[in-house]
Amino acid sequence: MMTDTERTRRFNELAEAYSTDLYRYAMWICGNDALAKDLVQETFLRAWRALDSLKDGGAAKSWLITILRREYARTFERKVPKFTDVENVVVIDDEELEPDAQAERAVLRKGVLKLEPKYRDPLLLQVVFGHSCAEISEQLGISKSAVMTQLFRAREKLKTQLQKDGVTGNVHELF
Amino acid sequence: MSMNFSEFKKLIGADPLNRDPEVLRARQSSAEFEAAASEAEAFEEKLQGALSIEPPADLLADIKAISQHPPKQRRWMPLALAASMLIAVGAAGLAWKQSHQWENVEVYVADHYSHDGSKLVALAGGAVPGEEVQKIMARLDAEADQQLLGRITFIKFCPTPDGRGAHMVVSTDQGPMTIIFMPETQVDDGDRVEFDQMHALLVSLEQGSAAIIGNQSQRLENLAPLVRESLKPGFVGA
Repeated sequence: MMTDTERTRRFNELAEAYSTDLYRYAMWICGNDALAKDLVQETFLRAWRALDSLKDGGAAKSWLITILRREYARTFERKVPKFTDVENVVVIDDEELEPDAQAERAVLRKGVLKLEPKYRDPLLLQVVFGHSCAEISEQLGISKSAVMTQLFRAREKLKTQLQKDGVTGNVHELF
Repeated sequence: MSMNFSEFKKLIGADPLNRDPEVLRARQSSAEFEAAASEAEAFEEKLQGALSIEPPADLLADIKAISQHPPKQRRWMPLALAASMLIAVGAAGLAWKQSHQWENVEVYVADHYSHDGSKLVALAGGAVPGEEVQKIMARLDAEADQQLLGRITFIKFCPTPDGRGAHMVVSTDQGPMTIIFMPETQVDDGDRVEFDQMHALLVSLEQGSAAIIGNQSQRLENLAPLVRESLKPGFVGA
């Protein structure tokens, strides 16, 4: 049993380590920054209550993602309006980019928000959290080969979107 | 047996940063493979850049506040699932309150609206389906009547001084206004709050209260009768 001090220290370490990535993940699954913030705060509130059940510190990231995904499913089990206020959020280094690169990022952001969950979820776990295909497989409860197929297709869809919007740059020819 | 180009493209398409020895060997086997891998990496860099959004500046502090003001443990009773969800929601609201200490409801209204109120007004679109509104209301042990339902263009749970409430944007003939429903908070009916070129009217309800918020040109009292009539106690555990 942890002391209050240990509990607080552990909780704060989790917040410092994972709140940014959880916010990004929440933002890209719900498409709204205010809702994403609410979702992350609810996730940590539940994590605080259940902190004693986290025995393996190495599993903390997956544990928090699971809490967030359940919270998202619970909160948004009803159909909610899809907000896509990606222009309102601050994207690191965006202002330093050339206009073409900024346009590419905008298309990619909108493309990610438009992806079906079966493509979007594994892609976000990989890009935002750095999960391996095996970890995604475990997190989502699907086979590793299905994960790889969905990741491949997710990127294909985004590349197609870039091509459609005419901001493909030089990355598409072989795809 | 060496990997063919199609297999290689699928592998790096699924994981552009794949450093598996077999993939690395294939990559080095020809210029065509190397070019495909380089382009996959370039795309990945763009994708990572696009998704690297900055979290709100106060997010970490708000989360840490949970540990500094933890929700009190409640004595567990064998309640039905729906009721237990209400307890969870209530506890969540308590934590919210404890992480945001407001001197009084007037300070809360100004602070809350300044946090994201104008952004949510800008976000609001068409009418939110009535059933979605009622699901949120039901979790607050309340319901909204038809007069209000068709006007709500945005709704979400929000913290209030006494637990969880609802933050709504409604369309009116004077333009969009904001209503913060505070199911557990009592106010002095008719009190006004002025802040940041906005103003708010506090309204007592049959259950709790509401703050109607608009810009200085909007006559908030015009909306008050509708709010009083429309926000009512609902069925517990709905």
